[in-house]
Amino acid sequence: MSLLPNLNFETMTPAEFSDHLPELIASSQGSLFDNPQLTSFFAANPDAAALVRDLEAIATAAKELFEPEAEVEPSDDVWSNIASKLGQPDPSEV
Amino acid sequence: MGTAQQLPTHYWTACSMEIQGQRMSTAKPNPGLFKRNPPIAGEAEAIERAKNGDADAFAKLYALHKRRVYTLCLRMLGNISEAEDMTQEAFLHLYRKLGSFRGESAFSTWLHRLTVNLVLMHLRKKGLQLVSLEETINPSEDDAPKRDFGAKDLSLSGSVDRVTLERAVASLPPGYRTVFVLHDVEGFEHNEIATMLECSTGNSKSQLHKARLKLRELLRQPENLPPLPGPNARGKEVMQ
Repeated sequence: MSLLPNLNFETMTPAEFSDHLPELIASSQGSLFDNPQLTSFFAANPDAAALVRDLEAIATAAKELFEPEAEVEPSDDVWSNIASKLGQPDPSEV
Repeated sequence: MGTAQQLPTHYWTACSMEIQGQRMSTAKPNPGLFKRNPPIAGEAEAIERAKNGDADAFAKLYALHKRRVYTLCLRMLGNISEAEDMTQEAFLHLYRKLGSFRGESAFSTWLHRLTVNLVLMHLRKKGLQLVSLEETINPSEDDAPKRDFGAKDLSLSGSVDRVTLERAVASLPPGYRTVFVLHDVEGFEHNEIATMLECSTGNSKSQLHKARLKLRELLRQPENLPPLPGPNARGKEVMQ
């Protein structure tokens, strides 16, 4: 995996890394920690590593919000209103 | 909340075009969303029957998708009353537009896109206060995520539980919330979000990054997060 080949992570400062981070994350196919180009940088900049770890954790957790367990039931009034406009029975009776 | 700014007219024009069904019916299949939205048993048959005016079949489609559509509306709007109204609108719109569904994408993906566009149009009608790209580009000082890395001893790794994240998402400025929900939760690609919001893909990536940074800040102090809306919260602005 090659991340933005024009970047030199050996000489990159934390501030520069912060500036590039949105594109780095967006272009990565997986975790940035899996990329050997960044191994030395993360070792030398633990705060940057912690930030990336947190952002990846947030993105991973967000996917769980898409799961059925995270969904919320609308009130019965919603279907009643729809049905009144369509002239249909309650879906629970289907 | 940051100061709301007027969006350019073309922002909403694009959304209006989307809702007419042209783009929804001509969109290329997205294998990723097919994977995230696998076919539901009996759904295809219900779709075909509903297209022919079968009321029971449409009721079945509602029963299959009401939770996901409502949850999407609630996350984007942060208000139970509005979320229920938009859920109703989404299904009424679905009833009218179902004949244009060609199956190029998963039905739920198509329905989600329809719902997102309706919600975006609704927010426009409200006066744009709740979803302003200007706000996400130039949020108020309080809302903007801090640019420093933060102390590593407050790392969140392994501690982002679903309910806490839901509360944090609800606390995001509306513009951040919109991009975060569309990308990280709903699975839309940056180019799709850029089309819906009429911004560049780079802007979408930037706003998503800022949203995640803001979430990181919020999740570090979960005791300050507001509770999620309960069943008695109808009519209240519960997120923000």
